Amino acid sequence: MHDETDETIVRIAAALRPLPDVDPAEKARVLVAVAAERERSRVAGIRAARRWRRVGALGALAAAGLVAAVWLRGRDVAAPTVAATSATTTAVGSTAPSSGVGARLARDDEGMKLKTVQLVLRAPAARTVSVVGDFNGWDAHANTMTRDPASGLWSHNVALRPGRHVYAFVVDDRVWLRDPRSPEATDEDFGRPGSVLLVGQP
Amino acid sequence: MPRPRSLQLIRPAPLTDPPEPGSAAERSLLVRAAQQGDVRAFAALVDAYYARCLRFALHMLSNRGDAEEAVQDTFVRVYRALPGYEERESFEPWLFRILANRCRSAGARERRRSELVEFGDVPDLPSERRHDDAIAWREEIGRALATLPVEQREAFLMRHVEDLTYDDMAIATGAGISALKMRVKRACDALKQLLTEDHGARRD
Repeated sequence: MHDETDETIVRIAAALRPLPDVDPAEKARVLVAVAAERERSRVAGIRAARRWRRVGALGALAAAGLVAAVWLRGRDVAAPTVAATSATTTAVGSTAPSSGVGARLARDDEGMKLKTVQLVLRAPAARTVSVVGDFNGWDAHANTMTRDPASGLWSHNVALRPGRHVYAFVVDDRVWLRDPRSPEATDEDFGRPGSVLLVGQP
Repeated sequence: MPRPRSLQLIRPAPLTDPPEPGSAAERSLLVRAAQQGDVRAFAALVDAYYARCLRFALHMLSNRGDAEEAVQDTFVRVYRALPGYEERESFEPWLFRILANRCRSAGARERRRSELVEFGDVPDLPSERRHDDAIAWREEIGRALATLPVEQREAFLMRHVEDLTYDDMAIATGAGISALKMRVKRACDALKQLLTEDHGARRD
């Protein structure tokens, strides 16, 4: 139902109609951004639920005339997490594994016990490597790895809550690699491979 | 940290005739599956619509980086808004509504930036390569399009390049049909004038 059949308009439209060339990496970036959005909204949902639980607890405690702060601190530390599992921590030593994880104890701003895990990837030819995972909203700029020039090993420390995490490496901003040293995640995100990291209770 | 949601792959009910790849029926199945959390279906939608969205954004904005950003932002917003999307609306005008809004915001940013460029910075010079006539013609069109007011450019592209109906354009822009027809007419008049006046030789 074209109301304009003017020849010039038809020619203009024809010149504007060819679809642009699209680099597959562009579409991949969209999916990474969407995955990050999904993770953000999921984390926001969990935080909101936790806040509401806390508000409810505060009200009850105030009514009972108890010292809420002490109780809450205890409750926070005991906040439920996914079933404890043994960590698949691989020490990064002189044997220089192609990739792996090492762990030590830390604590986050909400008082939750964390483990700092070192992720390692051997990629001597890479220009940049970053870690993406459920813990950083799949943000390829949040956790960039550092290269050791001597060994060609890239490493980075992430502080993780106990439980199961899915992660991957992004090499040179475009190649998505799962960690060859960790078990493969079966719940692929947007058809992309990921690895599973189990962080045990500290 | 809770266990990540496992993949919810929605398998559509078997049909006697499977939908043609790329057909409206297939897209509607994809939209429904994506709405129910199927990330692969959402990835397929991105795959199906990315180039078209980028074409629209490139014609609305003058640089590729801004266009890519607007399209990426569009799909993030589509993902966020999918749960509230109702199937009685068609997907395409709904997608174009979000895309057009993103392009308008990016265009406003771009205009602010180009105002700054005028005072001192040297903009990228056009490349020295020789253009053939088709490329030169497309560039002239691009320059002419850029002179149109945003709502006219948008209406012209939706009607004549994206082939949306006026009903769909009304959904996409929120404007009434008679207003949209007026915008398209004004855009056509301006483009004809700009592209035939300066380059009368092109009027075959």
